[in-house]
Amino acid sequence: MKLYEYQGKYIFKRYGINVPNQIDIDSISDKGVKVVVKSQILEGSRGKRGLVRVTDKPLEAIDELKKQGIDKFLIEEYIEHDKELYIALIMNRDKASLSLVSSSNGGVDIESQSSIFIEDISLDRGVKDYDIIKLYKYLKIGRFEQLSALVRALYRIYTDLDCELVEINPLVYKDDFIALDSKIILDDNALFKHSDLLKEISAESKLDRMVRLDGYIGIIGNGAGLTMATMDMVNIYGGKAADFYDIGGGATADEVRSALLEVSSIEGIKAIVINIFGGITRCDEVAEGIVSALDSIDKNIKLYVRLTGTNKELGYKILNDHGIKTYDDVSSMIKACVDANR
Amino acid sequence: MLIDRDTRVLVQGITGREGSFHTRHMLSYGTKIVAGVTPFKGGEYIENIPVYDTVYEAVSNHKIDASIIFVPNTRAVDAIYEAVDNDIKLIVVITEHIPVIDFARSKLYAKSKGARIIGPNCPGIIVPKERALLGIMPDSAFREGRIGIISRSGTLTYEVANSLREYGHSTVIGIGGDPIIGTDLLEAVHMMDNDDDTEEIVVIGEIGGDMEERLAEEYKKGLISKKIVAYIAGLTAPKEKRMGHAGAVVYLGRGTYESKIKALNEAGIKVAKTPYEIKDLL
Repeated sequence: MKLYEYQGKYIFKRYGINVPNQIDIDSISDKGVKVVVKSQILEGSRGKRGLVRVTDKPLEAIDELKKQGIDKFLIEEYIEHDKELYIALIMNRDKASLSLVSSSNGGVDIESQSSIFIEDISLDRGVKDYDIIKLYKYLKIGRFEQLSALVRALYRIYTDLDCELVEINPLVYKDDFIALDSKIILDDNALFKHSDLLKEISAESKLDRMVRLDGYIGIIGNGAGLTMATMDMVNIYGGKAADFYDIGGGATADEVRSALLEVSSIEGIKAIVINIFGGITRCDEVAEGIVSALDSIDKNIKLYVRLTGTNKELGYKILNDHGIKTYDDVSSMIKACVDANR
Repeated sequence: MLIDRDTRVLVQGITGREGSFHTRHMLSYGTKIVAGVTPFKGGEYIENIPVYDTVYEAVSNHKIDASIIFVPNTRAVDAIYEAVDNDIKLIVVITEHIPVIDFARSKLYAKSKGARIIGPNCPGIIVPKERALLGIMPDSAFREGRIGIISRSGTLTYEVANSLREYGHSTVIGIGGDPIIGTDLLEAVHMMDNDDDTEEIVVIGEIGGDMEERLAEEYKKGLISKKIVAYIAGLTAPKEKRMGHAGAVVYLGRGTYESKIKALNEAGIKVAKTPYEIKDLL
């Protein structure tokens, strides 16, 4: 689960990482004090999209951003700085350790950089001075104690809160390190261990089975791999997937029904491809779910269904009795769907 | 490979909904299950298999070669430690949604004690020739034969296996869809490369991580001798979105579809564009 910047900074502060002073929205005026107005959304590239404003007219900026549909803001003092750095902790999957990643060129796309610093820290031993000395020699900024406090705080955040990613970009130095931004992604699998924290930062954990994409052909499958493969095929054959929806293993008719309702309500959707390999999932259960949703979805949305595995015949009978066409071959089904819905 | 008809199996979490259902299924397939564990359910029987409170009691009463874990995610890591501490050397973890850092620590622990973990969040292993199933795979998709399959996915494995029924399968391993897994792609490929029953290897990968890239490097160096055909899911997945599997996320440009395909192509490994085209490349 991705946290908002303001939630991440709340956690930073608690772990002793410096962040710019927050300014109460009720105390601001357009009277010439330079502040930073930051739109609080979960998507990246806010700077490029003009959603972060350095301004002495914050009220005006907020009004403008509100017109773009932004409803949450973080207002902070402006920190004068010249150099922007990058620092993050991320999982090294291969070694089952954490990677400390840093760059003396922050602010921009870290992915496109050639000389980044990476040091692996085993979960067995935790972060040590010698890790930090290496980083200190690379960055050549600030005092060692300051960098050490920062890195140790990041490590504690990562391991205490079961993170997937903890990132500061940009990180700046002005008497000490200051995190101008925060990006924390919590491990969804571990949220059950942190309900107190989630309550404290009013973060709601909800399992999102659907990933929204920007096309017009809905995708429902069971299992991440099969659903992804189905999505890929729709795109490869010239269509455009509207979503990725994994109903998971052993889905009930009710779960299939709500999947169908959610996907069919995507704006501009023309057709939905349903691709199921029944193992624990029963095809008759899936078929019941599809049929029960029929009355509630737009008749113009065409369904392309392929079921195989456990109770396939039962499932196909239920669907055919309700006039839903079924397919045995996935490739030809997806081709037919793409061709009919250009 | 890994398991055979004589492998004596313990089921941890045997009395739960999943545990009992799949115990029945594995037994009917031919797997030699000898005991089960669920704390405070000791003394019960599931399909005539005795249930114990602890792994210690189970290994005191039975010879056990491997364990399969169905324990819910909040306690699954403890079950792994318990199996390792009782000297079980092969542990298949079916449970999904295990906290990643906790699992990573248990993996390091298992490794230090010489135990191998398969999974978590995986469908397990099946060896049709031996009628041995340590997992949740629907056996109708599998038959004895010459193709080995290694997969990061569940249902996609069944789909591909089903499409390769005419060749049959030597061993099929679902290595799991999590960011950290006990046995990675490369290790599994090496095992199959050394397996006499496997003639060709099918690898089903997906975006995220760099296991496919590392496999390609080894293949390029000539360290793997058997033919490999690969499929990678996630060509059109958006970045930084979790695509169902916790492991299928691209961060910092690591593990993109493009980097995997490029590496595999350069190594001379054929890549199928869709899972249904794998059989044409074998």
